[in-house]
Amino acid sequence: MNQRFSSASVKRGAGAALLALALGASGSVLLAQSAAPGKVPDLSGFWERRDDVGGGNFGGILEKIVPKASLTPEVVKANQETAARQAQGEVVAFGSKWCLSNLYPFFMQHSAAWDLFQTQTEIMQAAEVHTFPRHIYLDGRKHPSPARLVPTVNGHSIGHWEGDTLVVDTVGFVGGGGTPGGGRVGKNTHLTERFKLIDGGKKLSVVSTWEDPSIYLKPHTYELQYYKSDPGTYAFEETCHADDPKQSGSVVAPGQKY
Amino acid sequence: MNKPLLFPLLTLLVCPAFLPAQSKHPDLSGYWELRFDSRNVPPASLIAPATPAARAAQVKHDADAIRWCHFFGVPYMMAWSPVEIVQNTNGKEIAITSPVRTPARHIYTDGRPHVSPETFDPTSAGNSIGHWEGDTLVVDTIGFSDEGILAIPGGGSRTATSHLMERFRLLNGGQRLSVVFTWEDPKMYAKPHTYEFRYYRAPPGTEAREFDCNASDAERAKFLTSVPGK
Repeated sequence: MNQRFSSASVKRGAGAALLALALGASGSVLLAQSAAPGKVPDLSGFWERRDDVGGGNFGGILEKIVPKASLTPEVVKANQETAARQAQGEVVAFGSKWCLSNLYPFFMQHSAAWDLFQTQTEIMQAAEVHTFPRHIYLDGRKHPSPARLVPTVNGHSIGHWEGDTLVVDTVGFVGGGGTPGGGRVGKNTHLTERFKLIDGGKKLSVVSTWEDPSIYLKPHTYELQYYKSDPGTYAFEETCHADDPKQSGSVVAPGQKY
Repeated sequence: MNKPLLFPLLTLLVCPAFLPAQSKHPDLSGYWELRFDSRNVPPASLIAPATPAARAAQVKHDADAIRWCHFFGVPYMMAWSPVEIVQNTNGKEIAITSPVRTPARHIYTDGRPHVSPETFDPTSAGNSIGHWEGDTLVVDTIGFSDEGILAIPGGGSRTATSHLMERFRLLNGGQRLSVVFTWEDPKMYAKPHTYEFRYYRAPPGTEAREFDCNASDAERAKFLTSVPGK
């Protein structure tokens, strides 16, 4: 992958140089901009999953494109116990009933589009699903020290550019979420993501690597690709009302504790 | 066009877009705080004073929104600190986020008109389009739902017929941000209701916060619905 990346960069650089020579002064301006230090791809806009195997999360679609996570025996055992309780009719998750914030990376695997905003010093992702905006700081700051790190739904994210790839490092999750491929997100889980435009900017590749020795036997890596939404796309709001009896009834069997 | 030129030109055309240089407009990006002296809010001229019953209904609606963790929406989210403005470097869109649990505001500055009311599903933040008048960002919002907290500073409440105009302008060399809000609503106001917030730029290194909300928290629910002190 690195070799391909380097090759593409060289082609672009050579192309820009030749074009500038051919166009004279006006081309020189273009060259100066293209070769300016810190010049980075523009990732902004709405992005949506439209996987070749189908969109959305349901029906095991993600299992077709995401490898299964290698989990520790403790997590495997906990998953089995949870599955057994579910098999006996117990509702083990109440997030939908109570409209709890969707924990990262839920919106990245959802079929709903998300909107990426970009400046030189920050990237912000705004999702349609029920969660907080995600802030990725590009200004060189570090993660807060563990004593000052406040766990959040989206964690604390810092990023930097490696050529045309945005590398994002995230810690500080509240814990309790899940990843595609059957992984889990804990309070000490570490996530590395690599965002890169592909197909001339029509698609965005995001390679995610989850690490946590208490959860994974080895780093859990997968790639999801997103299509650039059509120009004119606008944001929706996914509302959720925990006080709506229909919302409760959708997931909670009669006689449940909550 | 000769062939040596064709290849590099095509190469450029198929390359992904690069982040452009900062636009000519003022950069409003950053975290902005409200302080004790940040608000200038006169009383609104309502068409008719709210009846006690109507007033009570609105108070209950907004209290329920907090109790049950609904999206709070506009204008409530603009009254929290810090709000963050993320102004796309490509000039096409601006976002405003808030620490309260509510969707980011999407302000489209690419020249598009409002989404047709025939197709737009009203939202707590409405449908916002913006343009620049000199150094002032003018934002026009319609399409509000009844989701969230409806109260408008100075009196009145957001309705489906509300129309909000905002004028964002940097002051004091970029250390302050003035936002002049003007609400118009034939069902609510006898004349346009205008007030101004002046935010302070937050210190460098300020970060987003998440004031999460858990409707299943029994202690929280009890606190919010009980008589204070009892």
